[in-house]
Amino acid sequence: MSTTASPMPKVRLRQVTKAFGDHVVLDSVDLDVAAGSVTALIGPSGAGKSTLLRCINLLERPDTGEIVVNGEVLRVQEGITARELAQLRRSVGMVFQSFNLFPHLSVLRNITLPQERILGRSKEEARDRAHALLERVGLSGKAAAFPGRLSGGQQQRIAIARALALDPEVMLFDEPTSALDPELGLEVLAVMRELAADGMTMIVVTHEMQFAQDVSDQLVVMADGRIIESGDPALIMRDPQHERTRQFLSAVRDR
Amino acid sequence: MIIEWLPALASGLLLSLQIAGMALLIGVPLGLVFASLVMSRWKAVRIAAIIVVEIGRGAPALVVLQLVYYGLPSAGITFDSMTSAWVALSLTTAAFTSEILRAGIQSVHVGQPEAAHALGFTALDSFWFIVLPQAMRIALPPLLGFAIQIFQATSLAFTIAVPELLSRAYSIGSSSFRYLEVLAVAGLLYAVISIPIGWFVARLEKRLSAHLA
Amino acid sequence: MDGFLAILVGVPLTLYIAASSFLIGAVVAVPLVLALRSKVTVLRVIVRGLVDLLRGVPIVVWLFILYYGISIGTFRFDSVSAAIVGLGLIAAAYLAEVYRGAILSIPEGQWEASNALGFSRVSTFSLIIAPQALRVALPSATTFGIALLKDSSIASVIGVTEIVFLTQAEARSNQSGLEMYIIAAVVYIALSFPLGLLSRWLDARFRKAVVA
Repeated sequence: MSTTASPMPKVRLRQVTKAFGDHVVLDSVDLDVAAGSVTALIGPSGAGKSTLLRCINLLERPDTGEIVVNGEVLRVQEGITARELAQLRRSVGMVFQSFNLFPHLSVLRNITLPQERILGRSKEEARDRAHALLERVGLSGKAAAFPGRLSGGQQQRIAIARALALDPEVMLFDEPTSALDPELGLEVLAVMRELAADGMTMIVVTHEMQFAQDVSDQLVVMADGRIIESGDPALIMRDPQHERTRQFLSAVRDR
Repeated sequence: MIIEWLPALASGLLLSLQIAGMALLIGVPLGLVFASLVMSRWKAVRIAAIIVVEIGRGAPALVVLQLVYYGLPSAGITFDSMTSAWVALSLTTAAFTSEILRAGIQSVHVGQPEAAHALGFTALDSFWFIVLPQAMRIALPPLLGFAIQIFQATSLAFTIAVPELLSRAYSIGSSSFRYLEVLAVAGLLYAVISIPIGWFVARLEKRLSAHLA
Repeated sequence: MDGFLAILVGVPLTLYIAASSFLIGAVVAVPLVLALRSKVTVLRVIVRGLVDLLRGVPIVVWLFILYYGISIGTFRFDSVSAAIVGLGLIAAAYLAEVYRGAILSIPEGQWEASNALGFSRVSTFSLIIAPQALRVALPSATTFGIALLKDSSIASVIGVTEIVFLTQAEARSNQSGLEMYIIAAVVYIALSFPLGLLSRWLDARFRKAVVA
């Protein structure tokens, strides 16, 4: 996958720590994500992958650490203003495991409402953007449908379109295909591959090893709240350095 | 004979409906306010709101009606009987509907406000556009059920001299001594409104549970 | 202070009315719910109409009908009896609905297994379904009990000397209406508090006893 190497990483995390009571979920994590690259986050459950992802757009608030997205620096200890938060959320889009489409709104409205309310776009502009994105994810005919009537794969693709409509700089994916049957998952992964090819900076928490190997530029392995290995996906898959990585990969392969 | 009673009873019924309507119009938004306070981030606000709501739910409607009409004057606040009726019933409505709305709001899947926040909706927008509409769908059957209760509670305004349906029936009864008949007619008038709404609520509940299943 | 004590005098009668009508309702609701589930359409429709009517007409209207409207020969209801009978019948209607919902919530599999084992329909109902339904019904029934306690206040309108009646008398005599009514409200809240605790205790206890 080609990337444009940037002097400044698009996303940078420094010393991000989070604990729930006594349980340390993230232990001083550092991470760099280059612009236009795809980072896959893998590891056993409870490793803290989702929590780390959710710290990037502050759906989880870390206890300490620094989060830099697109040059904007946020230091948790110094407090985060509402304006900084709004800006962060505008730069970062997120796709959830359970899609989280708004069931009381049509597919079109799911995509136009955020544009109107958050970016202040006009109704026409929002609608045009929405249709363009629906076409891009292969669901142009579904604009008037309601989420409840659609398959999981269709819902997830619309969720991707909804996030893209706000023109984010970075897209976060939290186990986007874990709730889907394999065939439906493939449609979603196809959309994600295209997104990557178009140069979107993506961070993906996933169990799809094939996808991770094929599409990602950086593979990050987490366990017990720490990054235990990171680097070239093919290299790590072939020859993992860490014992836990080896265990995890062989367990995944055996399924 | 009964026909002669109908105009008076009908105007009483209209008044009952008016009182109920006002109580709901004011009480439900107020209930939403209380629901938000009960779910507030600050403990002091939460506790204060819970106390107010529990008092509102714990005191019988009759007591609240009489407190407002007979009791408030000694504190310098005097409402006429009609005003007392809808003020008192609005308070009762607010207390009960705050619990109904709170339950509805909390039963909206947590992923909904999360997705809204991730997109960048403000907390208010997220609540108004995403959470509340879904909460209202869930809360509608119990809210309608409560509306029926409030409509029936307007009969208690009889004790504070409001010329609503029961009061009219009673005065016709005491002048004609045909209590049983006129009360039966009044009862039927209440029933003719309460029962169909009750059937509608039952149908709504069935549709809602099928939808969620 | 005198006002407070004068109002408290009404508590026993309030409790007596609430408890009696709840008991009557709990018992009378059983034949009602059986009729509602009956295959005999005429019976079902009549009882359905009865239950809807009992719930669709305000309590105070029913009490008036019983107290002012019923005079058969020399028989008339006195105020307390009218209150208990009226509230009892209304309680029966509400509890019949609660029982109905509880019975419907018992999984079909219970009926099937019981029949397969050879239990008759009657035995299935009394030995298998009813005990489980009772547990499910308990929370709603206690919630209704608390509501019934408050509704007993309506008996004051036909002259029963319970809490609200005495509160009115006090308010009129010593001109401190607000205080008296606040005391009355507090008394009701205090009375329903232990019921609320009972409800939670029963809930927890019977939840443990149910094998999922």
